[in-house]
Amino acid sequence: MLILGIETSCDETAAALVDDGNVLSNVIASQIDLHARFGGIVPEVASRKHVEAIGYVIRETFDSAGERPAAVDAVAVTCRYGLIGSLIVGVSAAKAMAYALKVPLIGIHHIEGHIFANILSHPGLPLPHVCLTVSGGHTMLIHVEEPGRYQVLGGTLDDAAGEAFDKIAKFLGLSFPGGPAIERLALAGDGAAISLPRPLGRSRTADFSFSGLKTAVVNMCQGRDRGSLPLADIAAGFQEAVVDVLVSKTLQAARRLGVTAVSVTGGVSINARLREVFSEACPRHGLQVFFPRPDLCTDNAAMVAAAGAVRLRQGEESGLDLNAVPNAPLESIKCPAKRC
Amino acid sequence: MRVLGIDTASRTNTIGLIDADRVVADFAWDARDSSLQQIIVNIDLVLKRGGLSLEDLDGLAVGIGPGSWTGVRVGVTVAKTLACTLGKPLCGISSLEALAHQSKTASALLCPLVDAGRETVYAAFYRVREGAPIREGEYYVGSIAGLTDRVREPVLFLGRPAYLHRAVITSALGPPARFGSPSDAPGGAAFALMSLPRFAAGQVDDPLSLVPLYLGESLAQALLRRREAEARGGRAPGS
Ligand SMILES: [Zn+2]
Repeated sequence: MLILGIETSCDETAAALVDDGNVLSNVIASQIDLHARFGGIVPEVASRKHVEAIGYVIRETFDSAGERPAAVDAVAVTCRYGLIGSLIVGVSAAKAMAYALKVPLIGIHHIEGHIFANILSHPGLPLPHVCLTVSGGHTMLIHVEEPGRYQVLGGTLDDAAGEAFDKIAKFLGLSFPGGPAIERLALAGDGAAISLPRPLGRSRTADFSFSGLKTAVVNMCQGRDRGSLPLADIAAGFQEAVVDVLVSKTLQAARRLGVTAVSVTGGVSINARLREVFSEACPRHGLQVFFPRPDLCTDNAAMVAAAGAVRLRQGEESGLDLNAVPNAPLESIKCPAKRC
Repeated sequence: MRVLGIDTASRTNTIGLIDADRVVADFAWDARDSSLQQIIVNIDLVLKRGGLSLEDLDGLAVGIGPGSWTGVRVGVTVAKTLACTLGKPLCGISSLEALAHQSKTASALLCPLVDAGRETVYAAFYRVREGAPIREGEYYVGSIAGLTDRVREPVLFLGRPAYLHRAVITSALGPPARFGSPSDAPGGAAFALMSLPRFAAGQVDDPLSLVPLYLGESLAQALLRRREAEARGGRAPGS
């Protein structure tokens, strides 16, 4: 079954064709250079860029896959969770596409897409498993019982982990996005040189908090001349604290639920130190760990198409009155056919 | 020629269908009921009323604003995606020109207004030549007072903001200011009718590159432009 996926929930205009788990094309027009000039993502700028790019991105998706729109069996689109002005552009295009091609339309929650980045990358990924999805827009722990059935275990109470990276990078005078900038600087630093708190590190909940960590860094630097600050040690210490909290919370949840695997996804799952610590810690706890292939870590439409394929198989389909909802909760498929 | 007209740039969203110079169907809804949620449902409704399918269309016309930035993106994205997918020609038409078209028998200079929020308007001046309004000068974004300062001859003001601000305009300009009816908002069929001469002349838009006419930058863009200009000003010229 050939599914066209469309994703415009934040600052990437993306479209992809996925055929029964095979990614035929995965086109992403990133706006990151544009937003870097503003030092962060500007919603109105993102929305305008999506309209400019969407037609070209969809055409490139078909051209690079060597497919024709008439061959598409369904259109899946991110319609929940993200910037409203950005979501609207993708949903408009997807609705027009599904209506013109007379094929089913399936609205997907952005977080479900991220869960599928790993399912798509690793067909042998065990179920159930615990998924940590972490980016500039969200930080969430999810019990993935099976594709389409989820239980949100916890999330961030304030900043997303990627957002904390951005804010600390800005504070240290580094470039946007902050993740890669901090990671690069941290290579030259000692992660143990500076002691930073591990917010909610001891709590038994699966929730995260990163704003206190940001405040600790800011307080530590207060009143000191920037030239005298050990910037690399600060970057390394901060990264170490974030990674530590993310890994320990994920392992705690995995142990509690008795799963055999964890998956890590979202933009921050590219971070090499995060991958390293997960890869060291998981085997010690009898857990397998999975990361998406590199082009499926950040926002992309292949993951949305993959999620759409499962929902369609379970008998779900959206109406042509599909709307965009910026902060909708992640929901399981209400009535999977086989359970009714 | 069968043309579907779409406009979601203003508070009233409309879809219209024409067959040659005959209006087959024209449907309007309040944008507060969601442009995105209603647009395809209402396109389907209008086509069914006309007994036509998308494949029967010879072209699409779409309002490109100025107007609501979020609203216009829905109509433009839907129209360009339909045109690309179906391989139909597409014609983008500005909201101001569409308003001017409603009074194309008038001899006075036309000044259609669209609400731009915070007591400002989008506007332009049009003169009717051979039955079609031709824009004179640049588009305008700003206060009513700033607009009336530019008027040197009798003008027919059009659109809802003109009607709402008529007292201010009359006190600035006196009798040379005249006003169109408050209910002269063009429907989707009007957009489709306006596209006919353009299709005939081959003046179509590339659906891939068509974007809304915003006539204004976001606050962030304005700030950035100022900051970058200042940064450039600090360096030696030509560097
Ligand atoms: Zn994401």
